[in-house]
Amino acid sequence: MILVPITYKGGVYRHDEILDLIEDMGGYIIQKHMIAQEVVLQALIPREDIETLRVLSRPLTGEVIFAPLVGTEIAIVSMSLEIHHLPHASCDVAEYLRTAGAKTNMIGLARGFGKRIGLLSDEERDIINEHDLVIYLFGNFETCIKQKMPTFRRGIHIPIVVTGGPSTDALKKIIDPPVAGYVGGFGRFMHRTKEAPEIAKLDDIVSEVSRVLDGRRSDIAKDPLSISPARLMDVILEQLPDIHDVTSPVPVVVQMDGVRVKLPYDPFAVQLKKVEVEKGVTVGMISDIRPSRMRDYILVKIKPFSDTGLMV
Amino acid sequence: MGTLEYFQVESTEPAGGELYRRIASTVITDHDILRVLDRLRIFIDPEVPIFIAVGITRTVPRNVIVRDFAGITYDGDKVILSIADETYLAPLLELLWRKFGKERIVQPDRFTIEMHLNTEEREGIEEIVVADPTEGLFRDLIYTMQVICPEGFKVKKQSFQNGKFWFVASENTLQEDVTPLVEEQFSIMGEGS
Repeated sequence: MILVPITYKGGVYRHDEILDLIEDMGGYIIQKHMIAQEVVLQALIPREDIETLRVLSRPLTGEVIFAPLVGTEIAIVSMSLEIHHLPHASCDVAEYLRTAGAKTNMIGLARGFGKRIGLLSDEERDIINEHDLVIYLFGNFETCIKQKMPTFRRGIHIPIVVTGGPSTDALKKIIDPPVAGYVGGFGRFMHRTKEAPEIAKLDDIVSEVSRVLDGRRSDIAKDPLSISPARLMDVILEQLPDIHDVTSPVPVVVQMDGVRVKLPYDPFAVQLKKVEVEKGVTVGMISDIRPSRMRDYILVKIKPFSDTGLMV
Repeated sequence: MGTLEYFQVESTEPAGGELYRRIASTVITDHDILRVLDRLRIFIDPEVPIFIAVGITRTVPRNVIVRDFAGITYDGDKVILSIADETYLAPLLELLWRKFGKERIVQPDRFTIEMHLNTEEREGIEEIVVADPTEGLFRDLIYTMQVICPEGFKVKKQSFQNGKFWFVASENTLQEDVTPLVEEQFSIMGEGS
């Protein structure tokens, strides 16, 4: 069964029917937002059932949109928290990626500005590495990007997408060795993205990120994970009752190769390890459970089939 | 940016310079300093790195004196100030307290100040300078330039004299005397001394 990422938008009225339907299809609801009278669901559903969902949501005036980034957690790195870098470019990118289904976290660096002084701290590097992909939002000058890029690459082992003022070709030329993705013509600016060419740039970012993540997906497919992250999320929500006391809108964040559980590590890690996925198979057997650098969360990284010999 | 008589942003990297022109134009409009700015030239060399902004302001408003915002009446040995514009009340009070002492200044209500002064002290009370608008203008101008210039450029020097201002910033140590750099930009703008 191939699951495809979608976003469902519709009214609150009878939306529980949609929830049930997705569950019955064997799909997973990754995120659910209730905004006034509207419900936005981000879900993974079987490819052959999209039409069924479309037909059934029609009387509820619901809309089913393909959302390529559902089930991914992306770090948007802004060079600082100053007015020079926030809010415009960083917030606009983060917000736009969310509309494509991604769970985005914004990271404002303590000393990311300046071509000479720009650097990543250990904590920043570790937090970035907990994501599926990182987007660096650089400035407008080639010289600066060229000089500071080596420091921002050091120790990062997830795919990097770079955006900056120079053209895409210029970015490709100055960044050596190459990174996973480039989007040029989107550097520092001091206004909201409203005009068509700017929105088109945001679309470019989404497609570049999707392209890079597709590559990562096919890498994962070569040695599949022991359990799908969406299913692991479901298991945790079902069997770890304390997760329902978490006030965060997304208590379990689905990533491409794991989940982030928003419970404190010390009291819950052992409990989580023992959660049974299927008879005789526990979460601890098929994944690495470690403390996250983000607050006191638990990071679960699923081991591949070649490691465990198990597929649940 | 039609109301600026001269507006140039030049850089050794033309594409970056063009983007910075857009940034400068947004920041100037956002900070509402277009009305006081007449000519502006910015030069950026990211290789050095250096950021130089030079400009000319329009006619700067004169000093604000007591007479401009307060009516003065005399009642025996009392001097009564009736404040029309509250904007300058705080700095005026500060000034009067410092000059005559707090015990001699009474403020019976929000818009009235009463003072007990002898004839000598009453002299020139209407002409006391309460605020210098150029101070605020200079602060606003420099703040605007700080927002425009790249964030890493933490080493700064600036000046504002007779309607001419300059702002120089870099990531590295600046040379002791930046006048030649500034003069060069002024002369490109056609305002050489």
